[in-house]
Amino acid sequence: MKILVPLKRVADPDNANKIKVTAGKIETTGLEWKPNPFDEYAVETALRLTEDAATPKARKGEVVVVSFGPKEVDTTLRSALATGADKAIRIDTTDDAIDGDLLARALKALVEKEKPDLVLLGKQQVEGDSNQVGQLLAEYLGWPQATFAGSIVSEADKSLVVSREVDGGSLKVRVTLPAVVSVDLRIVNPKGVQSVFTKAGHNYPEGVRFAALMAIMAAKKKPLTEVKLADLVSDPTLKVKTGAAELPPSRKAGIKVKTVQELVAKLKTEAKVL
Amino acid sequence: MSTNLEGLGLSLLNRLAGAEWPDRWGLRKSLEQAVYRGSKSSYALVSKLARELAQKRAPSQLHGAPRPNDLFDLGISEEQQMVRDTLRRFATEVLRPAALDADETGVVAATVRTKALSLGLLQQALPEEGAERSMVTHMLVAEELARGDMGLAVALLASVSAVNALVRWATPAQKAARLPAFAGDSPPLATVAVNEPTVLFDPKRLATRAQRKGAHWLLTGSKALVPLASHAELLLVAAQTAGEPGVFLVDRQSAGIELVPEGSMGVRAAGLGSLRLDRAPAERLGDETFDYPQFVDLGILAWCALAVGTSQAVLEHVIPYCNDRVAFGEPISHRQAVAFTIADMAIELDAMRLLTSRAVCRADRGLSFQRETYLTRLFVAEKAMQIGTDGVQLLGGHGYTKEEPVERWFRDLRAAGIAYGLHL
Repeated sequence: MKILVPLKRVADPDNANKIKVTAGKIETTGLEWKPNPFDEYAVETALRLTEDAATPKARKGEVVVVSFGPKEVDTTLRSALATGADKAIRIDTTDDAIDGDLLARALKALVEKEKPDLVLLGKQQVEGDSNQVGQLLAEYLGWPQATFAGSIVSEADKSLVVSREVDGGSLKVRVTLPAVVSVDLRIVNPKGVQSVFTKAGHNYPEGVRFAALMAIMAAKKKPLTEVKLADLVSDPTLKVKTGAAELPPSRKAGIKVKTVQELVAKLKTEAKVL
Repeated sequence: MSTNLEGLGLSLLNRLAGAEWPDRWGLRKSLEQAVYRGSKSSYALVSKLARELAQKRAPSQLHGAPRPNDLFDLGISEEQQMVRDTLRRFATEVLRPAALDADETGVVAATVRTKALSLGLLQQALPEEGAERSMVTHMLVAEELARGDMGLAVALLASVSAVNALVRWATPAQKAARLPAFAGDSPPLATVAVNEPTVLFDPKRLATRAQRKGAHWLLTGSKALVPLASHAELLLVAAQTAGEPGVFLVDRQSAGIELVPEGSMGVRAAGLGSLRLDRAPAERLGDETFDYPQFVDLGILAWCALAVGTSQAVLEHVIPYCNDRVAFGEPISHRQAVAFTIADMAIELDAMRLLTSRAVCRADRGLSFQRETYLTRLFVAEKAMQIGTDGVQLLGGHGYTKEEPVERWFRDLRAAGIAYGLHL
């Protein structure tokens, strides 16, 4: 099975307080970057679907990771190659030149070139949280889709039984391949993914795997190609218009009140909640 | 025709002798031999040199890839950055949560060991897999592991250290006999024993004696602070011979070895123990090219790298604590006594890291690094202990409790000045 996994780097959420805004624009210089966590889960899912957990080094399918962005994004792609992906593609662009719709259109063109059996992606990226690319891509391709996957069982690599995380429980759907599947947090549970190769009931370690140190060294020998965005889409018009960015106002210091009467008075006159 | 060839060979030798690259590639010694022996057997040596050159790749350095203009640069390569990121995640997600238990029980949990195996620390130390060996990378690994927990780091690095030493010094026969086991799925545990239970221990004046008996040696003496003392199957033991001190391979099952788990103040997860040897049969590591001072220095640098990692953990812990902890109506970091202490900590930590990096970087490049190692050891031993003490102090009463990790780091960091049993 050949799986295409779109992967995005995002500003490290732990450093959110470092973000500066000047003249209505977010400054990205000096930010630390991490792969979008849901995309990491998608890579892990793709690896689990294309291996026998007993012998993970012998790859039994192909995982292609793709990312949109400047040269620095190569690091994110190399990390994915180090954990086991076979091939990487970087589509050269910048963050402000793309939106969900353009990504979906570009991915459609890429899917037509690469011909994967499955597109696996994170349910959303944690910067914009818009949760649209998977759905749009499936629509543009005319493929079946299953979103918010909490577990996947492969049926002879012809179809997947996907348990979707929905309000108040999970919903099982069967999608025939080729298909688009977006994954949620629970997919990286020990039994989240059942491939056709791994013995039923195998327990994976919780979470995303660590790259072996040797694999990191070997990752630079794996193919990483660069594609121009213009080679995939002729019309780079964005549907999302960015107005201006501003930081939330900082909270003012609180005050101490001496008596209950004073508190009630302030709630009435200043806070106007009574 | 033969004269022409000889002349060609000699001019090649002269050009080699004047070149700068052999230093960078650690080939100066072989080269000088070649030039010294001159026309006698030079061609054989030149071809040997070419073979060595083909075997050795450019060592990756603190500088990353050598740059054409050789600008001063303390960066690391992209791969090293990825190694560091991976290890950092491993330390945060696996080692740190396991540290308290490991400190109390003195053993490495099976789950931690399994996850560590999947990282391939041993595979990375072995040369067979074809990638370049870099002591700077080993240093980064040690540092990041110790940022998670020093005790667990020592436990995991004991076998890696033994492999590093075997790869660096062992004879081809010893390598063939010992290394393949470490490449398997359940590698044996191994360790390095240098320290001895004496006052003012000096690794150059060993009380443990090695006596030659036929092809083998017999070791007699005591070793202390041996990582994994009760579990290690292969021991690399430093001992005094009639001449230079040497390092000896001792199998755990051999007669004449008594292992005493002694318990220690810090680094408890590593199960430090004592080892009594009474005419224990041993095999000498390496041949006449074995360099005992370098062996000791690389052990010292491994401990310095660990101390840097744990000190980093202290710094990262006290900064948010002192910003959040409010006393007398404001965060305690507003007090200069607190702020200056943390600033000193950060400065000294950077100095520790730079000194360690410089020594390791020189070792990687085949340059002498003994002076750099001793400056580093002295500085790191002093400052790491200070950082450990300040870490506890800054947390006040909390620092003294097991609720906070600083008391463990305080105990661990005291090992940096006294322990030797590892190898980069």
